[in-house]
Amino acid sequence: MVTTLDAVLTRCRSSPPNILATLQQVQAAFGFVPLEHVPRIAAHLGVTDADVRGVISFYHDLRTSPPGRHIIRYCLGDSCRAKHTERALTALTRRLRCDFGETTTDGRFTLTKVYCLGHCALSPTMMIGEETYAQLTPRSVITALQNHP
Amino acid sequence: MIAPAAKPQTVYVADDSTAIAAGANRVAAELSRLPNVRVVRTSSRGAFFLEPMVEVDTPQGRAAYLNVQPREVPGLFRKKPVPLARIPFLAKQTRYTFARFGENEPLDLAGYGFRAWQKAREMSPQQILAEIKRANLRGRGGAAFPAGIKWQTTADTPTEPKYIVANADEGDPGTYADRMILEGEPYRLLEGMMIAARAVGARQGYIYIRSEYPAAIQKMRAAIAQAREFGVLSESQFDVDVVVGAGAYICGEETALLESIEGKRGMVRYKPPFPAVEGLWGKPTVINNVITLATVPDIILRGADWHLSLGTETSKGTMPLQLAGQIRQPGLVEVPFGLTLEEVIYDFGGGLPRGCRFKAVQVGGPLGALFPARLLNTRICFDALAKAGGILGHGGIVVYDDQTDMVQLAHHFMEFTANESCGKCTPCRIGSTRASELLQAVLDGDAVPEDIALLRELGDTMKNGSLCGLGAMAPAPVLTALEYFPNDFGRRL
Ligand SMILES: Cc1cc2nc3c(=O)[nH]c(=O)nc-3n(C[C@H](O)[C@H](O)[C@H](O)COP(=O)(O)O)c2cc1C
Ligand code: SF4
Ligand code: FES
Repeated sequence: MVTTLDAVLTRCRSSPPNILATLQQVQAAFGFVPLEHVPRIAAHLGVTDADVRGVISFYHDLRTSPPGRHIIRYCLGDSCRAKHTERALTALTRRLRCDFGETTTDGRFTLTKVYCLGHCALSPTMMIGEETYAQLTPRSVITALQNHP
Repeated sequence: MIAPAAKPQTVYVADDSTAIAAGANRVAAELSRLPNVRVVRTSSRGAFFLEPMVEVDTPQGRAAYLNVQPREVPGLFRKKPVPLARIPFLAKQTRYTFARFGENEPLDLAGYGFRAWQKAREMSPQQILAEIKRANLRGRGGAAFPAGIKWQTTADTPTEPKYIVANADEGDPGTYADRMILEGEPYRLLEGMMIAARAVGARQGYIYIRSEYPAAIQKMRAAIAQAREFGVLSESQFDVDVVVGAGAYICGEETALLESIEGKRGMVRYKPPFPAVEGLWGKPTVINNVITLATVPDIILRGADWHLSLGTETSKGTMPLQLAGQIRQPGLVEVPFGLTLEEVIYDFGGGLPRGCRFKAVQVGGPLGALFPARLLNTRICFDALAKAGGILGHGGIVVYDDQTDMVQLAHHFMEFTANESCGKCTPCRIGSTRASELLQAVLDGDAVPEDIALLRELGDTMKNGSLCGLGAMAPAPVLTALEYFPNDFGRRL
C-alpha cells in the first residue's frame, strides 16, 4: 500500500501543487482517500494537513472510507423529483436496507445521492458504476441491481 | 430467424448516454448482426422520448423507426419508417447549434471541418471581438452577461498568460444541453474556444466537466486527442485540457470553478476583481458556458447580422431549451428566444402525460421561480422571465404535476442549497439551514403562521445579503411556491 501511494504521488507533480487532482488520483487508486495518508499527501504537495482535509471535506465525491463493490448514484434532481422518484427510491432503500452515504452489510453496494445525471429527459434515473438506468420504477430499480453481482 | 434487409443499408443509431440508457447500444448490437447492414453511431437529435431511434436514408431525407426494442430489430425493415419532417417536435425547431445532431459522428474530425475557425484565422483579433460584440451574444450559463464585453476586457488586460475556460459543470438539475454538445459535437466547443483564444490572445484552455458525466469526459478527451494529432490545435497555437469536477454544485459558479481547477475548496471569490482581469492563478481568464462557446462558430460563419435576426429585442439568437419532468415529449428544443412557456410545453412538449394535471413549471434550475398555469404566457427570454420574477438560467424547463406537494418541493430546494452552499457568507450558510428547518416544521405540522413570515424575511435576507447567486436566488422557488400555492402551506399550519 505504501509503495502504491508513492507511485500515485509521483504521478501528481505539478506546480503550483493541485490538491484536488492529487486526491482524485489517490481515490482512483484506492477507492477512497485513507485518512492516514493525509500527512504524506500534504508533505508531498508542500501544503498543510488542514489544506488537504479541507478539500476532502468540501467535495461530495471524495470518500474517506472504502466503498462497496458498486457505487449507486441515485438522482434526487428536480426532474426526477417531478417524476416522483421517491417511489422507486423507497423500494431501493428497502431492498438495500441502507440509506444515502451507507454501504450494504454485504459490501456490495454503496448508495450515494446526486443532483442530476443529465438524463432528465428519461427521469427518474440512477447510475450503478458507469451504467445508467432511466425511467426507474419500484420494480425496475430492483431488477437493475441484479446486473451488478 | 433473421430476415435480411432488402438491400445493403446504412442505419444510424445515437451514441448519446441518454439514448444508451434507453437501450440504443442493445439495439445497435442487434442491428450489426443483420447481414448487409452497416451501423453508424451518431449524436442524438435530443428527441429522447423517441429513443432508441434507428434512422435510415430515403430520397426525401432521413426517416426513423421510433422507440425500437432489440427484439423488433430482425423484422424492422419490413415496417415503414417515419420521415423526420413529419415529427413536429423536430420539424418545428430552429436548429443552428444543434443542426447536425442526429447526423454527425461525434469524433469525425474531417466531417466537422472547422470552417468557422478557418474564417476566424483570417480575421484580426479585434475583428472577431467586434463581431461577437455586435452579435450581442449573451451568456447561456445563467447570468446572461454579454460575452463580447468579457472577451474585450481580457483582451485589454496586459497580464500574461491568458486562459479560456469552458464551464461544463452543468449543475442545474433538469439541464443536459452541455452534455449533448460534449458527447455529440465536441469539436464545436473546441472551435468556439479556439476562436475565443485567438480573440483574446490565450494559449491554454480548460474544460471543467462534472464527474457525473463520464461519457462526456471520455468523448471530449478523445476529441482533444484527435485535434492534437491532426494539428488542429497546434495550428491555432492553443491547447486544451479537461479538468474533472468532484460533485459540488457551487463549482459551476465561475470563481468557485477557478478555485476548483486550482485544486482548492470551491469557495466563491469576492468580485471585483473579475475573472476577465484576474482569474485562473490570478491571470486574465475568459470563462463561458459550453453553449455560449458552441454558438460562437455560427456567429463567425454566418455573421453577427444572422444572430441579430433571431430572437427578441434584448435576447438574440436561439436557445436550446431542455424539457424535463412530467412532460409527454421531453427533449432538447432549440428555438429563437421569445416563444411562450405554453407554446414550448404544449406544442413541443405535448403537455403532460395522460392522467397527469399541470401544477407548476420551474424554469432555470433549482434557483429558478416556480410558475403556475396562469403565467404560462410568459415569454422565454432573459428579460420577460426576469420581469416575472424568474430566470432563464441555462434553459431547463421542469414540469410538475398536481401530485407534487409544494412544501416538500420547497424543502427539497432549501436542503439542496444547505448541502451545496460553499459556506463563505452567513446569509446563505446559516439562512439555508434555518429555512430548511422551518420548512421541515411545516411538513411536520409543527409550524405556526409566524413561521411563514419568518421564512419570507429569511428569504429577503438571503436575496439581499448573499455573496453569490446561490444564496441570492435560492429563496426564489420557495417564495414563489408560497405566493402561487399558498394552500399547500396553509392546510398544514
Ligand atoms: C450557484 C451558481 C451555479 C452556477 N452553475 C453554472 C453551471 O453549472 N454552468 C454554467 O455555465 N454556469 C453556471 N453559473 C454561472 C457562472 O457563474 C458564469 O456566469 C458562467 O459560467 C459564465 O458563462 P456565460 O457568460 O457564457 O454564461 C453558476 C452560477 C451560480 C451563481
Ligand atoms: S451565497 Fe452561498 S454559495 Fe455563494 S458565496 Fe455565499 S455561502 Fe458561498
Ligand atoms: S434531474 Fe435527475 S437526471 Fe437530471
